[in-house]
Amino acid sequence: MAIHERSLVEPERILRKERLVIDGIDVSGDWNLIILPRVINDYDLDFAKEIVNSPDGKTINQCYQCSYCTASCPVHNYWDERYNPRHFIHLARLGLIDELQKRADVMWRCVSCHKCTHRCPKGVLVEEVLKVILRTMAKRGLIEEYPSKKFDKFFTEQVLEYGRIEDGELLFGWIEKQGYKVVKDPILRKPIPFIGETPEWLKQLTMKPIKSMNIGFLILNAKHMLFHPRTKNWNKFKHVLRKVMEEEGALAH
Amino acid sequence: MAKKVLVVGGGPAGLAAARALGRLGVPTLLIEKEEKLGGRPILENYYTLIPRKLKPSQVLGPYIKEVEENPNIEVKLKTELEACEGEPGNFKVRLSNGETHEVASIIVATGFQHFDPRRKGELGYGIYPDVITNLELEQMFSKEGRLYRPSNGQLPKRVAFVFCVGSRDRQLGVTNVHCCRYGCALSGLQGSEIREHYPDVDVFCYYMDVRTYGTWEYPFYWAPQEKYGVRYVRGRIAEITYSPADGRLRVKHEDTIVQRPAEVPMDLVVLVLGMEPSEGTKKVAKILGLAQDPDSQFLIPSEESGSNIVSNKPGIFIAGACKGPIDIESSLSEGEAAAAEAAAFIGAKVSV
Repeated sequence: MAIHERSLVEPERILRKERLVIDGIDVSGDWNLIILPRVINDYDLDFAKEIVNSPDGKTINQCYQCSYCTASCPVHNYWDERYNPRHFIHLARLGLIDELQKRADVMWRCVSCHKCTHRCPKGVLVEEVLKVILRTMAKRGLIEEYPSKKFDKFFTEQVLEYGRIEDGELLFGWIEKQGYKVVKDPILRKPIPFIGETPEWLKQLTMKPIKSMNIGFLILNAKHMLFHPRTKNWNKFKHVLRKVMEEEGALAH
Repeated sequence: MAKKVLVVGGGPAGLAAARALGRLGVPTLLIEKEEKLGGRPILENYYTLIPRKLKPSQVLGPYIKEVEENPNIEVKLKTELEACEGEPGNFKVRLSNGETHEVASIIVATGFQHFDPRRKGELGYGIYPDVITNLELEQMFSKEGRLYRPSNGQLPKRVAFVFCVGSRDRQLGVTNVHCCRYGCALSGLQGSEIREHYPDVDVFCYYMDVRTYGTWEYPFYWAPQEKYGVRYVRGRIAEITYSPADGRLRVKHEDTIVQRPAEVPMDLVVLVLGMEPSEGTKKVAKILGLAQDPDSQFLIPSEESGSNIVSNKPGIFIAGACKGPIDIESSLSEGEAAAAEAAAFIGAKVSV
C-alpha cells in the first residue's frame, strides 16, 4: 500500500508484514502496512534516576535548558547539529531512550573542550553528565561502543604497563591493532615503522616532523621504540594500580 | 476626631489597612462579606504561603487578633457595601444590614476569586476525581496532612502540575489573558513539599514559561529542581484522559523540546488556577465608580499617580488583589500603605 507524504514518516515507524492477523482475523494483503504513532507513551524514569544517582551525574538536575552549552559547542557548531548537549540532557532526564538512540551515531563525538562546563550558568558539569549518559546507555546495551574508546583502552594499557607512553610504539602498535600488516623485528617482536603496511595519513603525519628532527633526537626515539622507557619503580606500583582500577570498574569502560 | 475610614474587605490587605489605622488612632469600620476575617488564605485553608513559607495563621493570626481587639476598629461580618453617595471627605455609605455611616475615606480591599476549572472542559476537572486544583492540594495538606489520590485514597506514584489553567488564555475571552503571578512559585513549593515528604513520588511541572520573578527564582524554581528533583517539561497540557485499563490518567501535550506529542500516564493531576476579580470587587467598583481594566475587570490605579494604591476617585484607595494577582506580603504592605494615605487624606492627628 502506498504511503502519502512518505517524506514525513520516519522509516523506523513503518511496519510492513507479509502476513498480519489482528484479533484472529487475517488482514494480509492491503492492510499489511502499519505506521506507528509518534506519541511518547511513557518516561523511563529508572534510566533517569540511574544518571541522577551516579556521583558524576548529579548536576543534571540543575539544567534549565537555556542552551548556552550547545551554542558554545564546537561539535554542534561545526560538525553535526544533531550533537546537542542541551537536548541530550532533557532526553536523559525524562528517560526518553528511543530519542537518545536516534542520535547514538553522534553521541560519542564530544571533543572534551569543556566550553559547555565552563560557561554553564547553572553549574551543570555538562561534559561529565554526557559521559554518564553514554556510560548508562552502554551499560544497558542501548548504544555501541565508539571506535575511539578502543584507542583509549590501548592507551590506558600502555600507561598501566610502563607508567608512561612511547609515541612510536603507541602509533604503530595501534596500526597493528587496526588490522594493518606490520613488520616486526625478530628479537623484541615490536613493529618497525614504515617497513610494513602504513596508512597514508600516518606517513604524512609523521614524516614531516621526522625530517625536521636532528639526528640525535631520532636515535633517541629509535632507542625508545626498541626499549620502552619506564617510570622508575613502576613494576611495584602497577599491580596496585591495576587492582584498584579493576575494583572500581574503571577498566570496564 | 469623628472622621471615620471605611475598609471594605477583611482579607490580608483589608486587615493590614484596618490594623494600621487602628494603631494610628483613626476610627475605622471594617466590613467583611464572609462570617470570618482572614480572606482567602484563612477561609480556604491554604497550607503554606509564598514566599516566606509561613502558615496563614502565623501571618494573619496576629492581624486578626489585633483588629478584633483594637477599640478604634469596628468589625462588621456578613456585611456588604450597598450604596455610596457624597463627595470625598464626606461619603455616606449604606450597608447590607441597613445601617448608614458617614465616612471620610474608603479603602477597597475586595480581593480576587479562583478560576473555576470546569470552564476548561478538556482538562476533565469534575469528571475524573484524580484531577484536582492546587487549592484542593493545599487543603489536602492542611486538613488531612497527607497526599493521596481521591479516587482510591492511595499514594500517587506520579503527580503532574498543569500551569496556567485560567491564565494567559484568550480562549476564555479577554478576561483571562493576564498571568496569575503566584502559580509557578506555588507549584514549585508544592512540588518540593511532595518530594520532601514522599521521595518516591515523581513530580512533573508542565509549563509554557516559568515566571518565578525576582528573588523567587532560587527558592521556587531552582531549588525544586536541584534540591528536590522536580521535573519541568515545556508544553501546555491540551487534554486529560482516563485509561480504565490501568486506572491512571493520561496528560496529552507536546514536549516542545523533543517536538513530539506525548500521552504520559499520571496518577494525580493538579491544575494551577488563575486569579479573577471577586464578585465583590466588580460590585464595589460599580458602586464607587472605580476604574476597571476593560479586559480583566480588575481595578486600575489612577493614571495621574505613579502609586499603585491611589484610585481614580479622590479619597478612595485600593489595595491588594482587587487590582490584580498579588502575593500575601505585598498585599499586606499595600494595605498598610493605603492606611497611611487614608489617614493623611482625612487629616488625622496621629499620636504615637
